Amino acid sequence: MQSESARMSSAAEARYRIDAPNSKPRSVKVIALDHPSERVIEDLAQRKWNNASFFTASAFGGTPLKGDSFAGWLSDLAGRTKNLIEEVNSADLVVMVATAGESAQAASIIGEACSVKRVMTTALVLGGQSISDEALSKTLSHLRPWALMLVIASAEEYIADMLAALRA
Amino acid sequence: MLRKEQNDLLTQTGPGTPMGQMFRLSWQPALLAEELPENECPQVRVKLLGERLLAWRDTQGNYALTDEFCAHRGVSLWFGRNEHNGLRCPYHGWKYDHTGQCTEVPSEPSESGFCQKIKLKSYPLVERGGVLWTYMGPPEKQPPLPEWEFAMVPGSHSFMSKRLQESNWLQAMEGGIDSSHVSFLHSGELNSDPLFKGSKGNTYNMADMKPVFEVVESPGGLYIGARRNAENGNYYWRVTQYVMPAFTMIPPRADHPVHGHFWVPIDDENCWAWSFDYKVTRPLSEKERKAMEAGQGIHVAYVPGTYIPTANKTNDYLVDRKAQKEGRTYSGVFGIAMQDASLQESMGPIVDRTKENLVSTDNGIIMARHRLLRALKTMEKGDTPPGIVAEHQRVRSAAVVLPPDKHFKDAAKEALVVQTGKEHVTV
Repeated sequence: MQSESARMSSAAEARYRIDAPNSKPRSVKVIALDHPSERVIEDLAQRKWNNASFFTASAFGGTPLKGDSFAGWLSDLAGRTKNLIEEVNSADLVVMVATAGESAQAASIIGEACSVKRVMTTALVLGGQSISDEALSKTLSHLRPWALMLVIASAEEYIADMLAALRA
Repeated sequence: MLRKEQNDLLTQTGPGTPMGQMFRLSWQPALLAEELPENECPQVRVKLLGERLLAWRDTQGNYALTDEFCAHRGVSLWFGRNEHNGLRCPYHGWKYDHTGQCTEVPSEPSESGFCQKIKLKSYPLVERGGVLWTYMGPPEKQPPLPEWEFAMVPGSHSFMSKRLQESNWLQAMEGGIDSSHVSFLHSGELNSDPLFKGSKGNTYNMADMKPVFEVVESPGGLYIGARRNAENGNYYWRVTQYVMPAFTMIPPRADHPVHGHFWVPIDDENCWAWSFDYKVTRPLSEKERKAMEAGQGIHVAYVPGTYIPTANKTNDYLVDRKAQKEGRTYSGVFGIAMQDASLQESMGPIVDRTKENLVSTDNGIIMARHRLLRALKTMEKGDTPPGIVAEHQRVRSAAVVLPPDKHFKDAAKEALVVQTGKEHVTV
């Protein structure tokens, strides 16, 4: 007699897998950390997503003084100011997009907010192939403490592929 | 998740498929040299990329990889007679040389030259590093022989095994780049397997169960860095190499041999998991070799006379619930290779990726798929996919402790490529 594992891992048995949704839509907030990344985010925002929303932190470079509020640290792509804490509160994942060689200092503010709220963070760095190792390292040093997953991608299209893979 | 058409594109490797074409453009391990140990030894059935072939070795020692079936009536030449520089079909005596050229059709007058009109499909078969490699692509695109480091060191320095895995190649390969499962599924082995235990890196592994990952594109595929906390604010990095389409190299541990895999499609529902171990500057010790032959480390013990693992789906992988409960194995299955294979086979022959729910730490897998799909697109335009040139193959995995401000790709630049005469950088 066939073992249970042999029987159950067959292609024939695969037909009996339950065909029902096994997850709820995740809320993914995608934040551009600099101006070049903002353009990439704007293009992405034109596509159809389940529950992804797009922001920029590029207008808020620099580190806030101690005691400053996180409110107003984001803006949506129409330029409306958004409350970072509120956005993080409703996120399952925050994706920060940075361009290699640009300042990614805003990552510390966003990362801290995510850390407080225990929200997963991913950082994507674009253009790492075309700049010096030193410049890339500088961008990474801003991101590394705050990104629980860090990806250096050569193609902008990767962000779309990643978001689709994550059902964003 | 992948859309169904993307999943089909990546998992189908038969003749005429785009992914099959990518595999066919580089040298693939076809069988172990030990399977054809001497001239005129018995021929071996080989199924690769959905093609039924026969591997054999003629009187002069030429290796042959030819169509399994006689061109006359379709008889399997596995029953053939390997004699006098050719393989003769036992049915009506048609004979073929190692290139697949028919050299005799006894029923036809030899003067007619009829046999010259008959030729079986054949592929080159070349020995390197204890492996017989084949190239199944267009002859005009045949690249130089592979230069994977394990195949270039003396035979005494390396060990290669293969095992049947009853799943599509992609779900097997994705296990090879999924570093985050190690702290769970293989946790029992890190401190007990003779080919893993005793490394300082293991203490970092077990002390920090939530590694942070960095995925970086490399010329041939990906570097997948797993970062854990070390002393004095430094980071312990384990950098896995993935070279397209199906090579993975696991980071080293202390002075243990370094290991890795090829995941080669047999057909769309089965693959060969090839597993290598090697050292650069010293032969493997007798103890190491014996452990590998016994199926420890990333190798397996076999059903005698086969390359089928002793623990396999027909015996429920010899799952031991008591050992699982007692924490001796995490899943109840013993051995690193079969811990992986049992789970990957349980997904079904070709996992339906439209139903999966990937998370952020799966970016290595997401990026590998992205690069494969991207390469398929550019291949359509005539570009050569990554992984074929020697530069892409002369790579190493590494385990290294670095200051927090150092990017592993730069700080460990030398450690990630072959350094002639030097061992891997390891902790």
